[in-house]
Amino acid sequence: MRGKSILSAAALAAALGAPPVQPAGKPHTVTIEGMKFAPERIEVAVGDTITWINKDFLPHSVTAPAARLESGDLASNQSWKFSARKKGEIDYICRLHPVMRGVIVAK
Amino acid sequence: MKVLNAIAIVLLSFAFGPAHAQAPSDPQIAGIVVTANQIDIDAGKLAVANTKNNEVSKFAQQMITDHTAVNNQAAALVKKLNVKPEESDTSRSLMGGAKDNMTKLHGLKGAEFDRAYIDHEVAYHQQVLDAIDKVLIPNSKNAELKDLITKVRPAIAAHLEHAKMVQSSLKK
Repeated sequence: MRGKSILSAAALAAALGAPPVQPAGKPHTVTIEGMKFAPERIEVAVGDTITWINKDFLPHSVTAPAARLESGDLASNQSWKFSARKKGEIDYICRLHPVMRGVIVAK
Repeated sequence: MKVLNAIAIVLLSFAFGPAHAQAPSDPQIAGIVVTANQIDIDAGKLAVANTKNNEVSKFAQQMITDHTAVNNQAAALVKKLNVKPEESDTSRSLMGGAKDNMTKLHGLKGAEFDRAYIDHEVAYHQQVLDAIDKVLIPNSKNAELKDLITKVRPAIAAHLEHAKMVQSSLKK
Protein backbone atom coordinates (compact mmCIF):
# COMPACT_ATOMS: atom_id res chain seq x y z
CA MET A 1 0.00 0.00 0.00
CA ARG A 2 2.82 2.35 0.91
CA GLY A 3 4.37 1.87 -2.56
CA LYS A 4 1.02 2.64 -4.15
CA SER A 5 0.73 5.84 -2.10
CA ILE A 6 4.12 7.02 -3.30
CA LEU A 7 3.21 6.22 -6.89
CA SER A 8 -0.10 8.04 -6.53
CA ALA A 9 1.62 11.06 -5.02
CA ALA A 10 4.16 11.11 -7.85
CA ALA A 11 1.38 10.77 -10.45
CA LEU A 12 -0.57 13.58 -8.80
CA ALA A 13 2.53 15.78 -8.64
CA ALA A 14 3.22 15.09 -12.33
CA ALA A 15 -0.38 15.86 -13.24
CA LEU A 16 -0.14 19.16 -11.38
CA GLY A 17 3.08 20.07 -13.14
CA ALA A 18 5.18 19.77 -10.01
CA PRO A 19 8.90 18.91 -10.35
CA PRO A 20 9.67 15.18 -10.31
CA VAL A 21 10.60 13.60 -6.99
CA GLN A 22 14.38 13.89 -6.59
CA PRO A 23 16.36 10.84 -5.48
CA ALA A 24 17.45 10.99 -1.86
CA GLY A 25 21.09 11.63 -0.96
CA LYS A 26 23.64 14.23 -1.86
CA PRO A 27 24.43 14.86 -5.53
CA HIS A 28 28.03 14.56 -6.81
CA THR A 29 29.50 15.24 -10.23
CA VAL A 30 32.40 13.59 -12.04
CA THR A 31 33.51 15.47 -15.14
CA ILE A 32 35.02 13.50 -18.01
CA GLU A 33 37.43 15.82 -19.77
CA GLY A 34 40.86 15.56 -21.37
CA MET A 35 40.57 11.73 -21.28
CA LYS A 36 40.33 11.77 -17.47
CA PHE A 37 37.68 11.31 -14.81
CA ALA A 38 37.78 14.32 -12.46
CA PRO A 39 37.91 13.64 -9.63
CA GLU A 40 39.44 10.24 -10.27
CA ARG A 41 38.49 9.11 -6.75
CA ILE A 42 35.14 10.14 -5.39
CA GLU A 43 33.95 9.44 -1.86
CA VAL A 44 30.19 9.37 -1.32
CA ALA A 45 27.70 8.17 1.25
CA VAL A 46 25.44 5.21 0.48
CA GLY A 47 22.35 6.64 -1.24
CA ASP A 48 24.19 9.59 -2.80
CA THR A 49 23.87 10.10 -6.53
CA ILE A 50 26.88 10.57 -8.82
CA THR A 51 26.45 12.18 -12.23
CA TRP A 52 29.15 11.72 -14.86
CA ILE A 53 29.14 14.31 -17.61
CA ASN A 54 31.23 13.86 -20.74
CA LYS A 55 32.86 17.18 -21.71
CA ASP A 56 35.18 15.56 -24.29
CA PHE A 57 34.29 15.45 -27.96
CA LEU A 58 35.01 11.71 -28.00
CA PRO A 59 32.52 9.22 -26.49
CA HIS A 60 33.34 7.58 -23.16
CA SER A 61 31.78 5.11 -20.77
CA VAL A 62 31.67 4.37 -17.05
CA THR A 63 32.25 0.64 -16.79
CA ALA A 64 32.89 -1.80 -13.95
CA PRO A 65 31.86 -5.32 -15.01
CA ALA A 66 32.44 -6.79 -11.52
CA ALA A 67 29.99 -4.27 -10.04
CA ARG A 68 27.63 -4.53 -13.04
CA LEU A 69 28.17 -0.85 -13.71
CA GLU A 70 27.76 0.13 -17.37
CA SER A 71 26.72 3.54 -18.60
CA GLY A 72 26.74 2.65 -22.28
CA ASP A 73 28.52 5.02 -24.65
CA LEU A 74 28.19 8.64 -23.48
CA ALA A 75 28.40 11.09 -26.37
CA SER A 76 29.79 14.58 -25.90
CA ASN A 77 27.79 16.50 -23.26
CA GLN A 78 25.76 13.40 -22.38
CA SER A 79 25.49 12.47 -18.70
CA TRP A 80 24.73 9.36 -16.68
CA LYS A 81 23.69 8.85 -13.04
CA PHE A 82 24.40 6.15 -10.51
CA SER A 83 23.43 5.79 -6.84
CA ALA A 84 25.67 3.77 -4.55
CA ARG A 85 23.46 1.25 -2.72
CA LYS A 86 26.05 -0.38 -0.48
CA LYS A 87 29.38 0.42 1.13
CA GLY A 88 32.58 -0.45 -0.69
CA GLU A 89 34.97 0.53 -3.48
CA ILE A 90 34.23 0.23 -7.15
CA ASP A 91 37.13 0.53 -9.60
CA TYR A 92 35.86 1.59 -12.98
CA ILE A 93 37.27 2.37 -16.42
CA CYS A 94 36.20 3.85 -19.71
CA ARG A 95 35.45 0.73 -21.79
CA LEU A 96 36.47 2.59 -24.97
CA HIS A 97 39.72 3.98 -23.53
CA PRO A 98 40.74 1.51 -20.81
CA VAL A 99 43.67 3.66 -19.65
CA MET A 100 41.06 6.03 -18.14
CA ARG A 101 40.39 4.90 -14.58
CA GLY A 102 38.33 6.02 -11.60
CA VAL A 103 37.26 4.83 -8.16
CA ILE A 104 33.97 5.23 -6.30
CA VAL A 105 34.24 4.88 -2.52
CA ALA A 106 30.84 4.49 -0.87
CA LYS A 107 30.96 4.92 2.92
CA MET B 1 59.13 3.26 -40.61
CA LYS B 2 59.19 6.04 -43.19
CA VAL B 3 56.19 7.70 -41.52
CA LEU B 4 58.13 7.88 -38.30
CA ASN B 5 61.23 9.11 -40.10
CA ALA B 6 59.22 11.90 -41.71
CA ILE B 7 57.95 13.11 -38.34
CA ALA B 8 61.42 12.77 -36.81
CA ILE B 9 62.94 14.91 -39.58
CA VAL B 10 60.33 17.62 -38.98
CA LEU B 11 60.98 17.56 -35.24
CA LEU B 12 64.75 17.70 -35.68
CA SER B 13 64.57 20.57 -38.14
CA PHE B 14 62.45 22.60 -35.72
CA ALA B 15 64.75 21.79 -32.81
CA PHE B 16 67.40 23.92 -34.50
CA GLY B 17 65.14 26.93 -34.68
CA PRO B 18 63.43 28.99 -37.37
CA ALA B 19 66.69 29.79 -39.14
CA HIS B 20 66.90 26.16 -40.24
CA ALA B 21 63.26 25.38 -40.97
CA GLN B 22 60.26 27.29 -42.16
CA ALA B 23 57.36 27.09 -39.71
CA PRO B 24 54.27 25.45 -41.23
CA SER B 25 51.36 27.77 -42.00
CA ASP B 26 47.91 27.16 -40.51
CA PRO B 27 46.59 25.56 -43.75
CA GLN B 28 49.67 23.28 -43.76
CA ILE B 29 49.13 22.40 -40.08
CA ALA B 30 45.49 21.57 -40.88
CA GLY B 31 46.77 19.38 -43.74
CA ILE B 32 49.22 17.58 -41.41
CA VAL B 33 46.44 16.98 -38.83
CA VAL B 34 44.04 15.53 -41.41
CA THR B 35 46.77 13.37 -43.00
CA ALA B 36 48.07 12.04 -39.68
CA ASN B 37 44.54 11.05 -38.63
CA GLN B 38 43.70 9.45 -41.98
CA ILE B 39 46.88 7.34 -41.83
CA ASP B 40 45.81 5.86 -38.50
CA ILE B 41 42.23 5.31 -39.71
CA ASP B 42 43.53 3.35 -42.73
CA ALA B 43 45.91 1.25 -40.60
CA GLY B 44 43.05 0.59 -38.16
CA LYS B 45 40.77 -0.62 -40.96
CA LEU B 46 43.46 -3.03 -42.17
CA ALA B 47 43.95 -4.33 -38.62
CA VAL B 48 40.21 -4.85 -38.01
CA ALA B 49 40.02 -6.84 -41.26
CA ASN B 50 43.12 -8.94 -40.55
CA THR B 51 43.51 -9.57 -36.84
CA LYS B 52 41.98 -12.42 -34.89
CA ASN B 53 43.14 -10.95 -31.57
CA ASN B 54 40.25 -9.39 -29.64
CA GLU B 55 42.39 -6.72 -27.91
CA VAL B 56 44.06 -5.67 -31.16
CA SER B 57 40.67 -5.56 -32.88
CA LYS B 58 39.10 -3.40 -30.14
CA PHE B 59 42.09 -1.05 -30.17
CA ALA B 60 42.04 -0.74 -33.97
CA GLN B 61 38.29 -0.07 -34.01
CA GLN B 62 38.77 2.66 -31.40
CA MET B 63 41.49 4.25 -33.54
CA ILE B 64 39.07 4.34 -36.48
CA THR B 65 36.30 5.88 -34.33
CA ASP B 66 38.47 8.45 -32.52
CA HIS B 67 40.60 9.61 -35.45
CA THR B 68 37.46 9.89 -37.61
CA ALA B 69 35.93 12.08 -34.89
CA VAL B 70 39.07 14.25 -34.82
CA ASN B 71 39.00 14.64 -38.59
CA ASN B 72 35.29 15.54 -38.46
CA GLN B 73 36.15 18.26 -35.92
CA ALA B 74 39.01 19.45 -38.12
CA ALA B 75 36.75 19.47 -41.21
CA ALA B 76 34.12 21.53 -39.36
CA LEU B 77 36.77 24.00 -38.19
CA VAL B 78 38.45 24.53 -41.57
CA LYS B 79 35.00 25.05 -43.10
CA LYS B 80 34.16 27.61 -40.42
CA LEU B 81 37.50 29.38 -40.86
CA ASN B 82 37.29 29.09 -44.64
CA VAL B 83 40.74 27.51 -44.71
CA LYS B 84 41.72 24.81 -47.18
CA PRO B 85 44.15 22.23 -45.72
CA GLU B 86 47.35 22.38 -47.76
CA GLU B 87 49.85 19.70 -48.60
CA SER B 88 53.38 20.19 -47.36
CA ASP B 89 56.61 18.22 -47.45
CA THR B 90 55.60 16.81 -44.06
CA SER B 91 52.13 15.64 -45.14
CA ARG B 92 53.58 14.17 -48.36
CA SER B 93 56.28 12.34 -46.39
CA LEU B 94 53.64 11.05 -43.99
CA MET B 95 51.57 9.67 -46.85
CA GLY B 96 54.62 8.05 -48.45
CA GLY B 97 55.64 6.44 -45.18
CA ALA B 98 52.11 5.24 -44.50
CA LYS B 99 52.05 3.53 -47.90
CA ASP B 100 55.25 1.65 -47.02
CA ASN B 101 53.84 0.65 -43.64
CA MET B 102 50.63 -0.63 -45.21
CA THR B 103 52.62 -2.64 -47.77
CA LYS B 104 54.61 -4.22 -44.93
CA LEU B 105 51.47 -5.01 -42.93
CA HIS B 106 49.79 -6.55 -46.00
CA GLY B 107 52.64 -9.09 -46.12
CA LEU B 108 52.13 -10.27 -42.54
CA LYS B 109 49.63 -12.59 -40.87
CA GLY B 110 48.53 -13.71 -37.41
CA ALA B 111 50.71 -12.82 -34.44
CA GLU B 112 53.36 -11.25 -36.70
CA PHE B 113 50.78 -8.86 -38.10
CA ASP B 114 49.45 -8.01 -34.63
CA ARG B 115 52.92 -7.24 -33.27
CA ALA B 116 53.95 -5.15 -36.28
CA TYR B 117 50.68 -3.17 -36.22
CA ILE B 118 50.81 -2.47 -32.48
CA ASP B 119 54.56 -1.72 -32.42
CA HIS B 120 53.99 0.84 -35.16
CA GLU B 121 50.99 2.32 -33.30
CA VAL B 122 53.12 2.83 -30.18
CA ALA B 123 55.92 4.54 -32.11
CA TYR B 124 53.51 6.53 -34.31
CA HIS B 125 51.47 7.96 -31.42
CA GLN B 126 54.67 8.91 -29.55
CA GLN B 127 55.98 10.75 -32.60
CA VAL B 128 52.64 12.46 -33.24
CA LEU B 129 52.57 13.56 -29.60
CA ASP B 130 56.06 15.04 -29.99
CA ALA B 131 55.02 16.78 -33.21
CA ILE B 132 51.94 18.26 -31.46
CA ASP B 133 54.09 19.63 -28.64
CA LYS B 134 57.06 20.86 -30.66
CA VAL B 135 55.61 21.85 -34.02
CA LEU B 136 51.84 21.95 -34.35
CA ILE B 137 50.75 23.79 -31.17
CA PRO B 138 53.67 26.29 -31.09
CA ASN B 139 53.19 27.24 -34.76
CA SER B 140 49.36 27.41 -34.94
CA LYS B 141 48.43 31.05 -35.32
CA ASN B 142 44.66 30.75 -35.31
CA ALA B 143 43.39 30.37 -31.74
CA GLU B 144 40.66 27.87 -32.69
CA LEU B 145 43.11 25.68 -34.61
CA LYS B 146 45.51 25.76 -31.65
CA ASP B 147 42.59 24.95 -29.32
CA LEU B 148 41.52 21.96 -31.44
CA ILE B 149 45.04 20.50 -31.45
CA THR B 150 45.35 21.14 -27.71
CA LYS B 151 42.06 19.29 -27.13
CA VAL B 152 43.19 16.38 -29.30
CA ARG B 153 46.49 15.97 -27.42
CA PRO B 154 45.07 14.02 -24.41
CA ALA B 155 43.40 11.57 -26.82
CA ILE B 156 46.72 10.90 -28.56
CA ALA B 157 48.40 10.43 -25.16
CA ALA B 158 45.64 7.99 -24.11
CA HIS B 159 45.97 6.11 -27.42
CA LEU B 160 49.72 5.79 -26.79
CA GLU B 161 49.13 4.28 -23.33
CA HIS B 162 46.40 2.01 -24.72
CA ALA B 163 48.73 0.84 -27.51
CA LYS B 164 51.46 0.11 -24.93
CA MET B 165 48.92 -1.89 -22.89
CA VAL B 166 48.02 -4.03 -25.91
CA GLN B 167 51.73 -4.33 -26.86
CA SER B 168 52.47 -5.62 -23.38
CA SER B 169 49.60 -8.16 -23.57
CA LEU B 170 50.99 -9.49 -26.88
CA LYS B 171 54.33 -10.29 -25.22
CA LYS B 172 52.74 -12.55 -22.59
